[in-house]
Amino acid sequence: MKILGISAHYHDSAAALIVDGVPVCAVQEERLSRRKHDAGFPLNAIEWCLERARLEPSDLDAVVFYERSMLKFERILTTALRAFPRSWRSFPHAIKNTLGEKVWVRGIIASHLGVPRDRILFTDHHAAHAAAAFLTAPTHRAAILTADGVGEWATLTVGQGERHADGRTNITLRREIRFPHSLGLLYSTFTAYLGFKVNEDEYKVMGLAAYGRPTMLEQIRRVIRRLPDGAFALVPEYFAFHTTADCSYSSKFVDLFGPPRDPYDPIDLDSPEGRRYADCAASVQRVLDEILVDIAARLRRETGLPDLCLGGGVALNGIANASILARSGFERVFVPPAPGDAGCALGAALYADRIYFDNRDQEVPDHPFWGPAVDGAELARAAQEDGQHVDQPDEAALIDRIADDLAGGRVVGWMEGACEFGPRALGHRSILTAPHGSEMRDRLNRDVKRREEFRPFAPVVAAEHADRFFELPRGGARLARYMSGVFPVRAEWRARLAAVTHVDGSARVQVLERTMAPRLHALLEAYGRRSGIPVLLNTSFNVAGEPIVTRALEGYMTFRRCGIDVLVAGSTIVNKRAASSAPSFKESGAWSSNNVAASTVG
Amino acid sequence: MAGVARGAPLDRVMRPLHRWVWRDADRRLRKLLAFADVETDGGRDILRAAEVTPDPLLRRLYLEHAIDELHHGDLFRDRGAALLRARGPARRVLLNGNPLPGGHGLDDLRIDGQPDHRLLAFLHVAEKAAAGRFAIYRELVDDDPPTRAIFEQILRDEVFHMNYTYTQLTRISPETYRRHVWHARATRLWNRYLRVAAAVAGLMGHTVLAAMYFVLLPPFAWLARRAERREPIGWVPIARTRSTSPRSQY
Repeated sequence: MKILGISAHYHDSAAALIVDGVPVCAVQEERLSRRKHDAGFPLNAIEWCLERARLEPSDLDAVVFYERSMLKFERILTTALRAFPRSWRSFPHAIKNTLGEKVWVRGIIASHLGVPRDRILFTDHHAAHAAAAFLTAPTHRAAILTADGVGEWATLTVGQGERHADGRTNITLRREIRFPHSLGLLYSTFTAYLGFKVNEDEYKVMGLAAYGRPTMLEQIRRVIRRLPDGAFALVPEYFAFHTTADCSYSSKFVDLFGPPRDPYDPIDLDSPEGRRYADCAASVQRVLDEILVDIAARLRRETGLPDLCLGGGVALNGIANASILARSGFERVFVPPAPGDAGCALGAALYADRIYFDNRDQEVPDHPFWGPAVDGAELARAAQEDGQHVDQPDEAALIDRIADDLAGGRVVGWMEGACEFGPRALGHRSILTAPHGSEMRDRLNRDVKRREEFRPFAPVVAAEHADRFFELPRGGARLARYMSGVFPVRAEWRARLAAVTHVDGSARVQVLERTMAPRLHALLEAYGRRSGIPVLLNTSFNVAGEPIVTRALEGYMTFRRCGIDVLVAGSTIVNKRAASSAPSFKESGAWSSNNVAASTVG
Repeated sequence: MAGVARGAPLDRVMRPLHRWVWRDADRRLRKLLAFADVETDGGRDILRAAEVTPDPLLRRLYLEHAIDELHHGDLFRDRGAALLRARGPARRVLLNGNPLPGGHGLDDLRIDGQPDHRLLAFLHVAEKAAAGRFAIYRELVDDDPPTRAIFEQILRDEVFHMNYTYTQLTRISPETYRRHVWHARATRLWNRYLRVAAAVAGLMGHTVLAAMYFVLLPPFAWLARRAERREPIGWVPIARTRSTSPRSQY
């Protein structure tokens, strides 16, 4: 069967295609449209998936949407009614927004793809999260925990999945916590309060948390109550996301925590205000950890299963994931490379295949590389046209040269094969550097990534050497496969891994097995032979505010305008030409033999 | 440059309005922050043009242009942030409103699939209009040398942008470049009309929905709140009987 999964309309639209039970490709719309967190209908992604599999829309057996849109509309309408009359300003906006497009999903899909309406299916949002987490994990029985902002009504679900020996698959979500009580929305509210963008910058709160102390636990526990059954409830007076679209927190929240941070104010961690923000981030992070660990521990006792599959946007929180692994009793925790809404495209397609159509279970390849491939020849052509120095050495020479470059302190843009599905660069669209000095971190933040100073960079380490440098608990290497956990850097290595060691001595490490990305693994080994430390700094290949690059030309354009020294795509290497004292291309007028005065035009 | 320095006729007519906007410190910084976003978005769009064009010379020029626009965005953002910091506690209220409209981003232009001549003509017309308006703004912020210096720098870049877009347009469409420029002007005008029409329609829709909200919803709101009181808080079992039909949107 050929099944297309789609997620769209809220954030991180994506499409994924499975054929005969196995994923063929998956890509987020932003990687093709080049608009970060693109929430539009993922037409580019769908077209690419079909082209990749050489299919026409008419060949599809089913198109599966990742949530039940009318149920979501019911929640939006009910929420507006419950908040009457305080919702008078948000109601017209919400209705126009929803009725304008979002509820007509079946028609939109049918008109774009030309598929019969009876082939268009829907899954529950959290069922799609659960399927993305469980059906892609190398386990046959596992507890499942999904948590995000909100789906239709559910914000957190627990259950379990089983893949039987006869090929049947079960996913049973037993109970849920419902809107407005949401860990995702709690965290997003603090994201907004701390002056960051909701649904985009939650990881900045996580980074900021390391600079603070959890001094506001008492206040946080006043806005989120624990319940006797182990669940939790947000105290509505402190929040406003259910009454208005303008702001997620209420004036009472501000009375409790103090003035919110202005998005345009830089965070000065030496100032009392800066420390207050960091303490606030540390406190909400601590409470999130506590609640998730407690829910997971209860689930462990209830199911008796050693494995846990985590899904939903909250599973992007590496600190919480590591806490769950360390303290909930689960031996292994699986987080897919795309646990957020984008991953629901794949989850919805897998759910339909295994549950709706009752097809036999298939092993899903355990890697994140489902997107468009890079073309080294395209890079070579563009760079030569620009007069850049291009080289295409054989594989061994390429690895040696790049390892030398890295050892020499150069910044390398690394593009290889198919791009990652999900928000992390896991070795196919990465910027790599030596991980040793904090000056490299500062240089990357200033000249390459152009982002806040307090944000840490992540290391990648060859799996064989991971325990030497990082304190990985049992199951830690698995959680670190897709950079889903934050673990301590061993104390004796922190000074020599300063660029990737966060202020609290931790790192969101990627543990790389040779089979997943053999080329990057070879580079790590080669670098290890030169430096004695087979660890590299690995950050996503993009500039702040832009999606990760997909094609070679996108990598090349990023390379040209920021401080990357060397660019690799496939077997092509481009070295940035040293800046000369000659006038720039713009100033030289070389672009024009007839420099027409613009004011005379027309 | 002389024509640019005077600004477009419409902008000259609207000079009193521009003066009103720039005279007030709050409006000024909101305008600067709005420009920051517009310039950054425009820069990303032009960067996309650099990525997709098959023409090597245009690729280099678009890249230079995109770097300029992204830099302009940073300049506006830094200046806006500096003014914001100088304002003190009152600034919280200030950002509650939407920024004033303005700027010269690439509107809703789709870059992928557009031929270069169309983009060049569009960019040329847009840059020329923006340069004219920025020249007026520069005169209106005489009392604020750092902001004036930003407009000075941007104006220098805009002249390059106008020049290269026109020169390249004549290179790639020597026979029809004038037609493309006029077409771009007409398209801009049409898009402006569409924006105004959409805004008016949006306002009307908003008004009708707000009226419905107060007239039709109160009894349903009462019922919804009554139902809410009966709902349990905490874990809710997921009933096996809940719709699991793959075809249901409910």
